[in-house]
Amino acid sequence: MNRKTGFFGKLLIVLVLLYLYVPIVVLMLLSFNESRYNSLPFKFTTHWYQELAADTELINSAKNSLLLAFLTGIVCMILATFFILGQRYLAKRTQGLFNSIVMMPMSIPWLIIGLSILLMIRFMGFSKSMFFVAMGHIVISLPYSLLVLRARVSSLDKSLEEMSASLGASPWTTFRRVTFPAIAPAMLAGGFLSFLISFDNFPISYFLMPNGIFTLPIEIQSSIKFGFTPEINAISTIIIGISLVCLTVVGLIMRSNLKAMLGGKD
Amino acid sequence: MKKSSFRKVLVGALAVAVMFSMSACGNSTGTADGNSSGDSSAQSDSGKTKLYVVNWKDYGTDDKELMKQFEEENDCEIVNTYMQSEDDLLTKLKTSGSGEIDVCLPNCTILPAAIEGDLLEPIDTSKLTNFNSLFDRFKTQKECLGDDGQMYAVPVVWGSTAVAYNTDNVKEAPTTIKCLFDEQYKGKIAFRDDYNDAIMTAALALGQDPNNPSDLDAIKELLLKQKSLNKTYWQTGDEFSKLFASGQIDVGLMWSGQSATMKKDGEPIGFVVPEDGGIGWVDNFAIPKNSKNKELALKFIDYMISKDVQYKWSSNGGPAPSNQEAANAIDPDYAQSAAMDEASLNRLTFMEYRDDKTKQEWNDLWTEVKAS
Amino acid sequence: MKVNKKSAMTWPAMLMLLCFTLIPLLIMFETSFRSDETGTLTLENYKKFFTNFMYIKLTGSTLLMSLLVTVISLLIAYPLAYIMAKKLKGLKNVILVLTIIPFFTNQLVRVYSWLIFLQDGGILNRLFMSFGLAENGLGILYTRAAVVIGLTHAFFPYMVVTIYMALERMDDSLIEASMSLGASKWTTFKDVIFPISMPGVMSGVTIVFVPCLGSFVEPRILGGVNGTVIGTVIEDQFFQLYGWNFGAAIAFVLFALVLIFMGAFGALGRRWETE
Repeated sequence: MNRKTGFFGKLLIVLVLLYLYVPIVVLMLLSFNESRYNSLPFKFTTHWYQELAADTELINSAKNSLLLAFLTGIVCMILATFFILGQRYLAKRTQGLFNSIVMMPMSIPWLIIGLSILLMIRFMGFSKSMFFVAMGHIVISLPYSLLVLRARVSSLDKSLEEMSASLGASPWTTFRRVTFPAIAPAMLAGGFLSFLISFDNFPISYFLMPNGIFTLPIEIQSSIKFGFTPEINAISTIIIGISLVCLTVVGLIMRSNLKAMLGGKD
Repeated sequence: MKKSSFRKVLVGALAVAVMFSMSACGNSTGTADGNSSGDSSAQSDSGKTKLYVVNWKDYGTDDKELMKQFEEENDCEIVNTYMQSEDDLLTKLKTSGSGEIDVCLPNCTILPAAIEGDLLEPIDTSKLTNFNSLFDRFKTQKECLGDDGQMYAVPVVWGSTAVAYNTDNVKEAPTTIKCLFDEQYKGKIAFRDDYNDAIMTAALALGQDPNNPSDLDAIKELLLKQKSLNKTYWQTGDEFSKLFASGQIDVGLMWSGQSATMKKDGEPIGFVVPEDGGIGWVDNFAIPKNSKNKELALKFIDYMISKDVQYKWSSNGGPAPSNQEAANAIDPDYAQSAAMDEASLNRLTFMEYRDDKTKQEWNDLWTEVKAS
Repeated sequence: MKVNKKSAMTWPAMLMLLCFTLIPLLIMFETSFRSDETGTLTLENYKKFFTNFMYIKLTGSTLLMSLLVTVISLLIAYPLAYIMAKKLKGLKNVILVLTIIPFFTNQLVRVYSWLIFLQDGGILNRLFMSFGLAENGLGILYTRAAVVIGLTHAFFPYMVVTIYMALERMDDSLIEASMSLGASKWTTFKDVIFPISMPGVMSGVTIVFVPCLGSFVEPRILGGVNGTVIGTVIEDQFFQLYGWNFGAAIAFVLFALVLIFMGAFGALGRRWETE
């Protein structure tokens, strides 16, 4: 099979990446622009990075967001894997019902979900806490993990697992040897999308966060009443930089590990 | 070999999960004193009392310099939570638990609803040392008074929503609010996406009473006609300021305080309350019923209406002070540019409380204009 | 009836959803049947939605907009995912990561960047002018086109991920077999490749279409005067006035619509798969 990318293929990749990165490049550039109101022409300054360095509230909020998103991403990855593997054994009708329920957090506006959870915990006499914030984040990020996994698992052959079981392999061995290698990339990608959904979520955090704790989206959303400064652009630029470095490192490690793991054939 | 690398990945993932969940919990307990246990106690780990304030971001109480003196004198820490809109504050008040909010900043459009809903604590104004320096009109602000004649909130700052214009492109300050409906500025107008501001402004232009408009149909017609003249409807100060700074706005509906800030930053912006009027608003501090720090909250309000704090806040691109002494101390030129002067004040129609039905009716009208 | 024990694996997720989505939303569902004025049970919120043509019209135009964004996303995402999965070797993970990286920035900040980029006198305008392509403002910002640009940008990378996940697993030998049997490239695609990637396409359509329907940030900021969609109406009901009852009612109508559309997409997808 032809494995070469043609001219149009390359052009497509370049164009799509261009489209994708236009606003990102703009926001990075604006973090070095002098004007508080992002006005042009461009005048270089590092002023906003200096401001940012002194702004502990903003930096802490970014840290909070990252922690919350990590937790959410990992929990979603695990829950979604279990769900997607289990739902294949459900009766048709239950499967349909379950799948509609799973879609709910995606189709009801998050601000309504956030507010409903708040009303519920009030009703039960609890106060706002990080536990409920995390739970809220997990339910709204879960559909993303699920959808990515579903794209993968639908093509997974159930009979292969059954065969492995009938040959006397324990469920754990079957999962490890047959299922996991097939769905690992989708688990990772799904968990990653859930991470990003949580990282950028405003409404759930806003309604459920205990007083005085902020996440980055809360900071930004609250700032737009009177206008956010390029400090926000600066912190976004830094986050992109860090995530690029982290992903490269993780990618290199995973590559050797995954290769070792997936490489051998039974 | 295969086995070990699989375990490595699995153990690694687990370790990361545990680490992050622990640090997330540690983080939450560190910043929000002992989170999940029933109600949050007022004493924090460090022994400092925390005063929970709900306010706009960048609106005085999160200014560290401004808060320093109070925090030192009372050995306490101001913890801010930000609100998104007035009605959102009402939601917050109705859903907040005991001790979660000590001071909040409702404006006059929701205050009566909060008082009627039994959400606020009456304020003993005799305990406020600075109360007597307030402008007379604010001492008896009618929305702050309950049916029982007690005061439930103290006016802190006020300001106006009126005409901002680009001094480079518009040489003469507009004299009428009708400039926002003028073909002359077609494509260069920034109107506000807010049912309250939109309807009140249209009522002013039509010569109706902005708080009790007599002919909503005429207002709708005017707003529909005005729609095509706009560059955009802006909703947040951020949108307006960035659009204005890129030179795309000649005239727009804007807040006095933010215009003053932008002017300080060197933007060619002028602000005027035209002769036929503008919209005024008053922000008030109130203490929720279920606050656990009412004494300190009262002290805080007293601090916020003191001459010094009011002067520092207002003369620095903030809203106008309710304290008369502070107002007198402000440079008259600056006061005029920020429309804090007496002449501007007298031309304003202050926003009043509206019941849910009127709000819904106005919002429906505005949605219809936007959706057409 | 025999229940397979393995289906118990769905329980942890379902338990979470029960506690933190279904039960809380029941409270909201009840709210949507409450009268604004009297607080009694009533159908008036739903009646208001279905009797005022404006809301129907807004829902309709939002649906169309979401469909448009979904189709454009599919047109961008499918070829990209295909090239990544089938043509690139080492680079494919790099490009996958590159498509996701922009999501590390905040949605609002990204939308504001579009605003700066698209506005008259903005970066795109200056670029066009320097090439002599435009003399005045472009007039893109504050139109529905700007909203579609922003929304597509916000959602299509998710679709790239789902389609890529489906395609990457596909066995190349299937394609080779089809080609060696003399099938044309198009037939191979239509009868072999596309049906196999269908689960990815279905997931991708869902992941773009559904959030698009309730979006309000991009429409409001990039659409300006033309930016009113059903999502902004819901947001206003909750944030601009104390109108939970009506806001919740619209949200549940929207959810019903999502279920109907997902059912339709599903049926369409299955037909293609089995053909």
